Amino acid sequence: MTEPMSAPTRAAPPWTDPEATPFLRLEGVSKSFGGFEAVRDVSLDIYRGELFCLLGGSGCGKSTLLRMLAGFETPSAGRVLIDGEDQAGRAPFERPTNMMFQSYALFPHMSVEKNIAYGLKRDGLPRAEIAARVADILALVQMTQFARRKPDQLSGGQRQRVALARALVKRPKLLLLDEPLGALDRKLREETQFELKKIQEEVGITFVVVTHDQEEAMTLSSRIGVMNAGEIVQIGTPHEIYEHPHSRFVANFIGSVNCIEGRVIGREGAHLRIGCPDLGAEVTVESGFEAGAGEKVALALRPEKIVMTREARPGFENTVTGRVEEVAYMGNLTIFQARLDSGARLRVTRSNTTRTDADVPRVGETVHLQWTGAAGFVLGA
Amino acid sequence: MSGLRRLGRAWSGRALVVAVPMLWLGLFFALPFLVVAKISLSELAIAMPPYLPLAEWADGALNIVLNFGNYLFLLSDGLYLAAYLESLKIAAISTLFTLLIGYPMAYVIAMARPERRNILLMLVVLPFWTSFLLRVYAWIGFLKSNGIINNALMALGITDAPLQLIQTDFAVYIGITYTYLPFMILPLYANLSRLDRSHLEAAADLGARPLTTFLTVTLPQSAGGIVAGCMLVFIPAVGEFVIPALLGGPDTLMIGRVLWDEFFSNRDWPVASAVAVVMLLVLIGPILLLRRAQAREEG
Repeated sequence: MTEPMSAPTRAAPPWTDPEATPFLRLEGVSKSFGGFEAVRDVSLDIYRGELFCLLGGSGCGKSTLLRMLAGFETPSAGRVLIDGEDQAGRAPFERPTNMMFQSYALFPHMSVEKNIAYGLKRDGLPRAEIAARVADILALVQMTQFARRKPDQLSGGQRQRVALARALVKRPKLLLLDEPLGALDRKLREETQFELKKIQEEVGITFVVVTHDQEEAMTLSSRIGVMNAGEIVQIGTPHEIYEHPHSRFVANFIGSVNCIEGRVIGREGAHLRIGCPDLGAEVTVESGFEAGAGEKVALALRPEKIVMTREARPGFENTVTGRVEEVAYMGNLTIFQARLDSGARLRVTRSNTTRTDADVPRVGETVHLQWTGAAGFVLGA
Repeated sequence: MSGLRRLGRAWSGRALVVAVPMLWLGLFFALPFLVVAKISLSELAIAMPPYLPLAEWADGALNIVLNFGNYLFLLSDGLYLAAYLESLKIAAISTLFTLLIGYPMAYVIAMARPERRNILLMLVVLPFWTSFLLRVYAWIGFLKSNGIINNALMALGITDAPLQLIQTDFAVYIGITYTYLPFMILPLYANLSRLDRSHLEAAADLGARPLTTFLTVTLPQSAGGIVAGCMLVFIPAVGEFVIPALLGGPDTLMIGRVLWDEFFSNRDWPVASAVAVVMLLVLIGPILLLRRAQAREEG
């Protein structure tokens, strides 16, 4: 597979360097409750300064994995190493980690200040230092004027900041965040995503975030680990996960995708030719996927990579024709469902670059659907 | 239907709901209390009933005689003050015992798996199925000279002669602690079962050992339950009569027994009523404390 060209980091990212030592290492970690295996043989390396997202649906084991890092659950098998130290047998209060809870778990009988100072007091720091660090962190999360309030006098967004501040103030080696933005409404969540990322870069602490929200994972992470049924099914940068998913599960979980069944006809250099009876056409796709002629595969095509026009244009390797069946206007983009002459349906999105677009195909119109050889990817059947 | 009428109907419904308990309280608390207060201000007489009326109509004049002598008498005789103090002391010590025993029990029940909680709660309430009197009598069987405890101690060779357990203040503490324990456990359980477990995890995560977590997170958050439980035990324990009468000794002087003696032995209803009124006044403080705790629990 070709290496993605993006990777917006200054130096080469540590996970591409085989010499780099991981900061957090999971070796074959499993966890079963009774007969149920919540986490199954997870091995994972996370590097210093990363913001790593564990992404998955509910019950996929991501929270259990996070709780094993914090020490609330003991792995049934495998090892957890933080900064080279095996965490086996260490209670939560002995670990160099801090956690931001999904419910925030702020102590209701303490003020914001006292909540944040709680962890520092446990370390027995001098009072002056505690006060200074609390003041610093309050400034960082912009909550200085609320220092004396009780948690029930704060809004959801403010509580979220206090919870973050309380977890950050101890300067843990590793910060664990369980659905950190889950309780916020959509607008606030979008704003807070960027803020969280900014704070992470400022403090330079390694973050492990658990989320079910793929958009959140895409925006925040340096890398994403996609989980399904207790296993990590793919690890990669947001770009890799989106553009080069290894499986249908990942392709479907992140964004939407058209999956078209077919059989390999043959290889032409970097391109694979696939016969797709559903499309009623042979398609060309740039892929390193190793498959012999006649093998069953699936062509995966993201809806935004298909160009839909009334008149076919040159420059595309693949063209099929169909009829617009449904149109859903979303504001920033419009989603089309096209029914091909072969009977198959394709989902296409088109971003609304101008306010009025006379060129928008209407329901019932015949259209050409075109994509380049680099637009799709091939998945095993 | 007009909004006003609907409002009127809703209001009358609410009034009805409030009226029933108010009527109950009026009939069975306020009215008897007023009768007792009235008697406490009248004079003793050898008559039926054994006191003089407060107001008399004679020769076209209404004579109202308020006799505060009964209250002054309570002050003049050291016995009453001693009995009040002794009652408060015994109630306070017993309350402390119920708290020390009840808190861990309530904690364990609240932390137990949900399906086991109901069984454990049931076990707490189970003693109520037998008569209160019977349960106190059973303690006599345990504590008397040739009772179960003394026999066991002697059989094991720990003591040669039976210990004086019954008819002591200690026996009264045991009796009150045992019978009032559920009143401590239930409010504490109600409080602790609402404790958010993620708070405990958060404390551990921030570096608190289990004992520190308990002292800084669990205990402060259960303060409302502690106050409610303590008051539910303390308030009735102050006026307790049966337990000191059955388990206490001749010098266990509690206000309940004084009240009984004044009413039934001395037939001095006015003084007995004064004793009762003063007891209520003494308990107003704890009652207000209880109300505040309950309001906070609900709020």
